[in-house]
Formats: sequence, structure tokens, C-alpha cells
Amino acid sequence: MNFFGDSLSETLSYIGSIMPSLLDGLWITLQLFLLTLVMAVPLGLPLSLGSICRFLPLRWLCKTYIWIFRGTPLMLQLFFFYFFLPIAFDIRLDSFPTAVITFVLNYTAYLAEIYRGGIESIDRGQYEAAQSLGLSRTRTMLGIIIPQTVKRVLPPVANEAITLVKDTALVYVIGVGELMKASKGAVNRDSNVMAYLIAALIYLACTFLLTMVARRLEARFSRYEATATAVKKHEKRRLFGSAARKER
Amino acid sequence: METVLTMRNIHKRFANCTALAGVDLSVQKGEIVAIIGPSGSGKSTLLRCINSLERVSAGEIIVNGETLVTTDEQGKVIYPKDKEIRRICTETGMVFQHFNLFPHMTCVQNISYAPIRVKGQPKAEAEARAHQLMEMVGLKGKENAYPAQLSGGQKQRVAIARGLAMDPTLMLFDEPTSALDPEITGEVLAVMRKLAEAKTTMLVVTHEMGFAREVASRVIFMDQGHIEEEGDPAELFSNPKSKRLQAFLASTLTI
Repeated sequence: MNFFGDSLSETLSYIGSIMPSLLDGLWITLQLFLLTLVMAVPLGLPLSLGSICRFLPLRWLCKTYIWIFRGTPLMLQLFFFYFFLPIAFDIRLDSFPTAVITFVLNYTAYLAEIYRGGIESIDRGQYEAAQSLGLSRTRTMLGIIIPQTVKRVLPPVANEAITLVKDTALVYVIGVGELMKASKGAVNRDSNVMAYLIAALIYLACTFLLTMVARRLEARFSRYEATATAVKKHEKRRLFGSAARKER
Repeated sequence: METVLTMRNIHKRFANCTALAGVDLSVQKGEIVAIIGPSGSGKSTLLRCINSLERVSAGEIIVNGETLVTTDEQGKVIYPKDKEIRRICTETGMVFQHFNLFPHMTCVQNISYAPIRVKGQPKAEAEARAHQLMEMVGLKGKENAYPAQLSGGQKQRVAIARGLAMDPTLMLFDEPTSALDPEITGEVLAVMRKLAEAKTTMLVVTHEMGFAREVASRVIFMDQGHIEEEGDPAELFSNPKSKRLQAFLASTLTI
């Protein structure tokens, strides 16, 4: 194993030689990440509403679904769908679509629970105010409750998205060629752990970016919670800004 | 005179207590009725039954000529369909102790949301009305502020404007100043005085004895789930007949 033994130029040229396969892996990782997020984030909402609805059979169905998908390991679910679907239903899917389906099913369950917590954290007075104004149940959920929930669930959803970036590494077990598999391949082939180090840095860069995006979104959605002093500051800045422009 | 609200023999039982034990109350158009009484006497529950935030256990409520709830001979409580209940409840505007403004909406959005969504008013019209109402409650210039940027007294005034925007025949106030610092209750009471001068029909649950005495056209004293005494404010405050009202007034004066 030669990690620090080589000269800098040799190390750099080695990194250059493994980069293409790692970036190919990253591309698969990103696809899995984005597809899961884009589908699971909206799908979690009807599931969370189902899990708190007053119609018992639907509630039990949703709760059972959430129980199963939160209560079993994600890796087991990957194996299950990868082997179960072809055997039981003769549905043969490639490993990547299987990974996407499993991840969406799994993350929908987690997100539904986060949404449920958010919805239930909204003060009862909000429902009462909406009811006293004659708003229907649906209108109350869509116009009053869910918009307030979005802000509250953003931090836990961002957390879940970061977990998702790392969870994508699991799918190498069913042979999807994502970043983890690509780096493992390079390490085994060259007996050089440099690929793991690069992969770690790439994962860190991804989660760092996500953290930044989440922070932006949080700031945007907490606009309406700005206190009176914050607003004054903002107005002052705006005033000085316009004064400065006039001077020019 | 036109009767805006009729309540007959209202009972409300919770799991382990009786909040209302046979209350009869009617409110005429233009009347300002203040409900006073010790905490736990059923004042708020009575108010909440009127816009069906609580369902009665027995009795009859008629709001502006429409039956919100009635009870048949077998004692079965009959409410109409949800949609019908919602429609009847828009005849009443509610102001809550804790304001319950929608935090994600500006003042104007708070006020115009229900007129647009429930009454189907055009947005421009509803917002123009919201601006008028903001001026009426003395908050001109705060139209685009979010509730978090307002003081308690300002929030409650926006809440009053929100209730008025639906043009209710009866305004309900559930301890509108109880969550406010003493020095800013005045601004909310001033708005309510203004409404009183404009002959808005109001039913006010309050601990503000001064307000009840000066503004109300009738005062109701509730105790242990029923109306103990009612009458003209001057008469009721200066010459309380029942022992309980005498004790209640004595205790509020010493505080």
C-alpha cells in the first residue's frame, strides 16, 4: 500500500486516472438522490395526511406502511425488492430502478412521519380561527396549516436529505455502480485507499452544498417570523440604501 | 327589535364536568352584551357553542333566524350538515384571547383570506376592504406587516378587523384583552368602543369591569354554568342582588 510514499506528481496523476470512474459513480449517486427526493418529498404529504385522517381503515393502512418501512433496514428492503419482485411477480427490473423504488418507498415513510409531527405541532387556535371564519377542512389544511408546516419541517427534512446522500452508498449491495462501488473497485484493483479518501471528500462536498441550500430555504421561509426589530433594521438599510443612491 | 341570537336551555357536558347547565340567552340587533363571571363559570364555553367550536349536549341555538342546533323530544341533539354549519357560523365573527392570527400571512392577507375563499369576493375588492378595516382599527401603515412584527394589542386589533371583514351580524369576543399587558388593553377596548358606537352587535366575555359598565347595554353574570343575574350595567354593578355576584364584584374590586 502506498499512500504517502509517492511523490506529489505521481499521486496527482493517480487521482487523475481514477477520477473518471469516480465521477461516473457520482453521477449515478446524484441521480438516485434527486429521483428519490423529487418523488418522496411530495408523496410523504398524502401519506402523512392519511396517517392522521379520521377514516380508520385508511389511517391504519398508512400507519402500517410507515411502521414496516421505518421498522426494517433499508438494506434488507433493497434485497427484498431486488429478489422478491422477479421471483413473486416475474417483474425483472434493473438494479437502478429497483434502488429508486426502494428508496422512494422508504423515504416517503420517514418524510410522512416528519410531516405528521409538523402538522400536529400547529396550534389548535389556528384550526379554530379558520373554522370561525367558515373555511372548509380542505381549505384550512391547504391554506393555513400546511404552509406553516413547511417552515417547521424544513430542518428535519434537510437532515433527512443529508442522510439520503449517505444512504445511496448502500445500493452497491445490489450492484448499482454508484460512487461507493466505483471507489471500492478502484481500491481493490490498485491496492490504494486514495479512492476512499476522494469519495469521502465528494460526499462531504455534497452534504456541505445541501446544508447551504437548506439554510437558504430556512431563511426564506422564516421571513414572516422576523421580529419587529429585524424589520426596523431592514427598513433602515433600505432607507440608507435609497439615500446613498440619491447621493450618487 | 330584531333578534340576532337565541339560545334556549343550553347544556354542555364535558367528560367529567358540566360546563353549561341550562342557559337561556337572546341578543337583539345593536345590543352590546357583556358576560362576566369567575373562571370556570362557562362564559367562554357558551361563546364557543355559538360558532360551533364546541358542540352543545342539549339545547337550541338560532343565529340570525337560522337554526344552528336543535334538540328533539328524545333529547337527541340535531346539527345540520358541516357545510351548513360553516355557513351559519359566518354570521358570527370570533375574536380569540390569543388572537390566532395566521402567522404566514400579512395583515391584509389575514383579513381578506376568508372573504376571498369563503364568500368568493374578488381579490381587489377584499383587499380594499381590508385596507379600510386596518385604518378603522388604527393600524394604517401596517398593512403588509406579518403578525410577528406587531405588538399584542396590534395583533388583537388585526384579529378584530379579520372578524369584521366577513360582515357578521354578531361579533363574539372571548376575553379579548386577557392576554395583553394592562397598559395596552386600552387600545383594543378603544376599537371595541368604536364598534359599539357604530351599533355593531357584540357579545363580549370579559374581565374588564370598566368596559362592561361603560360600554355594555346589558351585563350577564354567569356562575357554575348558568346565568345567575343579568340586567342594566349601572344597576347590576351598583346594586347586585345575588350573593355570588356580590362576592364576585367584591373580589374583582380588591384585585
